[in-house]
Amino acid sequence: MTLQIGEKHFSSAQPEAAARRIVTFKVGDRTFGIDVGMVREIKGWQATTPLPHAAPHVRGVLNLRGVILAVYDLRTAIGIGVTEATATHVIVVVDVEDKTAGLLVDSVSDIVDVPVSAVRPAPDLERDEHGLIEGLVLLDTDIVALLDLAAVIRDGGVDAQTRAARAAA
Amino acid sequence: MDPLAELKQTFFQECDELLGALEQKLQALDEGSNDPEDVNAAFRAIHSIKGGAGAFGCTELVAFSHVFEASLDHLRSGRVAIEDAPFTLFLRCSDAVADLVAAARNDEPAVERPDLLAALEQVGQELQAEPRAPAAAPADAPPGVAALGNLLAMVEAGSGAAPAAADDGWDDEPAGPAPADVPAAAEARPGRALRLRIAPEADLFRRVIEPRVVLGALPAEDIVAVRCDLSQVPPLESLDVTDCWMRFDVDLHTELSVEELHGRIDFSLGGEEFEIAPAEDEPDLAETAAEPEVPNSVAADLSAILAKLGPAPEARDEAASQPAPAAAAPEPVAAAVPVLRTPPLRAPVNDQSARQRQPVSVRVDLERIDKLMNLVGEIVITQSMLVECVRSLPYDVYAKTAEGILTLSRQTRELQDHVMAVRAQPVKAVFQRMPRLVRELAQTLGKEVRLVLEGENTEVDKTIIEELADPLTHMIRNSMDHGLETPDERAEAGKPREGTIRLIAEHRAGRIVIAVTDDGRGINREKLLAKARSRGLVDDDARLAPEEIDQLIFAAGLSTAEQVSDVSGRGVGMDVVRRNVESLGGRISVDSEPGRGCKFTLALPLTLAVLEGMVIRCGNDRYVIPIASVIETQHLASTPIERLPFGQEVLRWRGEVTPLYRLGEVMGSMGTTDENIVIIAETERGNNVGIAVDEIVGQQQVVVKSLEANYGTVNGASAATILGDGLVALILDIDSMLRLAASGDRVPQSDLKMAG
Repeated sequence: MTLQIGEKHFSSAQPEAAARRIVTFKVGDRTFGIDVGMVREIKGWQATTPLPHAAPHVRGVLNLRGVILAVYDLRTAIGIGVTEATATHVIVVVDVEDKTAGLLVDSVSDIVDVPVSAVRPAPDLERDEHGLIEGLVLLDTDIVALLDLAAVIRDGGVDAQTRAARAAA
Repeated sequence: MDPLAELKQTFFQECDELLGALEQKLQALDEGSNDPEDVNAAFRAIHSIKGGAGAFGCTELVAFSHVFEASLDHLRSGRVAIEDAPFTLFLRCSDAVADLVAAARNDEPAVERPDLLAALEQVGQELQAEPRAPAAAPADAPPGVAALGNLLAMVEAGSGAAPAAADDGWDDEPAGPAPADVPAAAEARPGRALRLRIAPEADLFRRVIEPRVVLGALPAEDIVAVRCDLSQVPPLESLDVTDCWMRFDVDLHTELSVEELHGRIDFSLGGEEFEIAPAEDEPDLAETAAEPEVPNSVAADLSAILAKLGPAPEARDEAASQPAPAAAAPEPVAAAVPVLRTPPLRAPVNDQSARQRQPVSVRVDLERIDKLMNLVGEIVITQSMLVECVRSLPYDVYAKTAEGILTLSRQTRELQDHVMAVRAQPVKAVFQRMPRLVRELAQTLGKEVRLVLEGENTEVDKTIIEELADPLTHMIRNSMDHGLETPDERAEAGKPREGTIRLIAEHRAGRIVIAVTDDGRGINREKLLAKARSRGLVDDDARLAPEEIDQLIFAAGLSTAEQVSDVSGRGVGMDVVRRNVESLGGRISVDSEPGRGCKFTLALPLTLAVLEGMVIRCGNDRYVIPIASVIETQHLASTPIERLPFGQEVLRWRGEVTPLYRLGEVMGSMGTTDENIVIIAETERGNNVGIAVDEIVGQQQVVVKSLEANYGTVNGASAATILGDGLVALILDIDSMLRLAASGDRVPQSDLKMAG
């Protein structure tokens, strides 16, 4: 199940001068968004190989046409459980800094253009201890939480392991 | 690229090899070798560099190597005894030549070294009544492109210029027998005199034939004289180096018939390109004499070369049947043929066997090999996918297909081995940079150091070679700066004033292990620990074993040097080394004995590209264990297991107590495990461990895929691979896995756990 991101998916008619084009997706009843430029492709769920002693939200690694990348469970990252992945779940493949990673979400909803001015800074959420939320966008029906992908991923790799080791020490 | 620029590149590549040989020989002599052959080899190397440099207009390089060559010539001629020669000076000069070559290559202004030049001029001065000008523009034939310089120079100067040619030659082999003695010998033998004229078409080289091959087809003992006619060669400006303009006259005294001679030559030359006539009717004698351009030396050299070909008839035959062996004067011109560029000589030229059986080789862009390598990697994956697919076919179809796939597997593997072999290189390429580093550091630090290299011919993949230089440089710097004491301190401690650093490479457990050992003071554990505590890296109340303290040397931001020096001491060295090494899937460790010295051991995979692996299953997960680490597998049920007081399980294996680890537990495998098999594996330190797994799925070659690229290091695994069904499996790293197991048992020292 691969979903092409095309022009026709636009919901707002004309992009404004200083606008951000955002892909929105759902985890449970919450809506998240990332800049469309970071999305490389969207593919259906595929079994991953778990990594030993990785952070809880690291689902494992998978093979994307010869490249190995890690898949992060967004549900676990935001602390609302573990996704029971089925064929209808979706992996959003993203480019973050110099790495490629997969983000496990329930479904992809839309691509929207939002004026930069409509992006509000994230309120100082006590529960967002890793700073995963970069900002909020108010749409007609929804509140979209813009993700700081680097923070989502940073917590998975080496840093999480050393942090865990330090915590144990 | 125009042919000359391309040749120039080849020349610089050759220079690297020649410089390596030069340094190596000088080093051997400095260490007490009395072998005149070493002197000759060193002389030839610098001579070849000079020759090539002249052709490409690197004036500074020519000037310096000229003086250098002259001093070495004193040794060669025996005017200066080998024992009295200033090899330290010579080694510094070889470094200077390397700098000049680098400057010429990068088109940078050359650094003048009047000090070294002056010192060189002194060599042999006092012994010498009238200093003899050393071969000013040598007419002999050094190997490789450098020789082209001489050839071009002669051609350019309208030939006769090939000066006072009879410099006794770069070769210590008696050139005498060839021109002088052979005719005498020939007259005593039966046969008749024949004259062979060879006038090849200009495209000779492009046909990948060189004159030496043609001449080599003749029985060497029958050749009386060879004359080369260079009169057809156009001036340098208009010379296309891929054209052959040489003409040869060969005087033969032979028992072979004209037809037999014809048969020996006509496979390499067209019928109209040569003619054979009895020598009696010699109308061309006058003509030949009227060709003053033919430098006698060239003829003499060719005869000498042929004479050398003589003693080994089968080698000669081989040379005749294979196009383009290296080593003769015309060879460099062949090097310009774009299709097949002959490489420079690796071994000292004087090695008889090397000269007779130069393997044919080609220089190839690394990029092309890499592309090939990637492609082979993809084929391997596809092939194992095919194997999976075929399993589901009905039996009759399966049997036939399986046979084909089996052949394919074998061929794929062979293909892969060959491509890998193409990339393999001896670590010498890196090792030979180290003597210079040591010399220069010794001078800066005021220490006396002897560097011993072992296992330079250990081969590893190109990818690893490139990554070795930095860690080795750091390790040697560290040993010289922190490890070795000053000569006075050493004398006080009752050690020889001169410290020794050993650099040893070997293959072990499917890895290359490189050890840097010094006989210095060892790690000062008190100081190291105090420092680590002051930096908060170790808790004040933590009790560390001596070995654990030693490993702190790899922690970030630690340096025990009392003052920061130019060399090391900023505390960035060893921790950077550790990180670089680990990112390559390698490991570094240290063993220190206070007062006795210190040993750093670096273990790296032989290649970063593929490995032979055993696929195993544990619970729902599959893993790959590098086959190189596996010693034996056996049923767990038949192996008696005991439990040590701390809960560690051990098994008896071949009379030894071997620790047992359960893979599922260590790696946190999913699903329930049902351990049936124990794999006895070897660690880098040479210990054995048992690893309990559920099932051995198979054995296959796997393509190594980085986990670091898109994720990070994974404890217990060195990398990952893609199995036939497209799923990812981790490639286990036994040593890292053991550390992972150990870290579960006790409080982990996060800064230490990677080091041991």
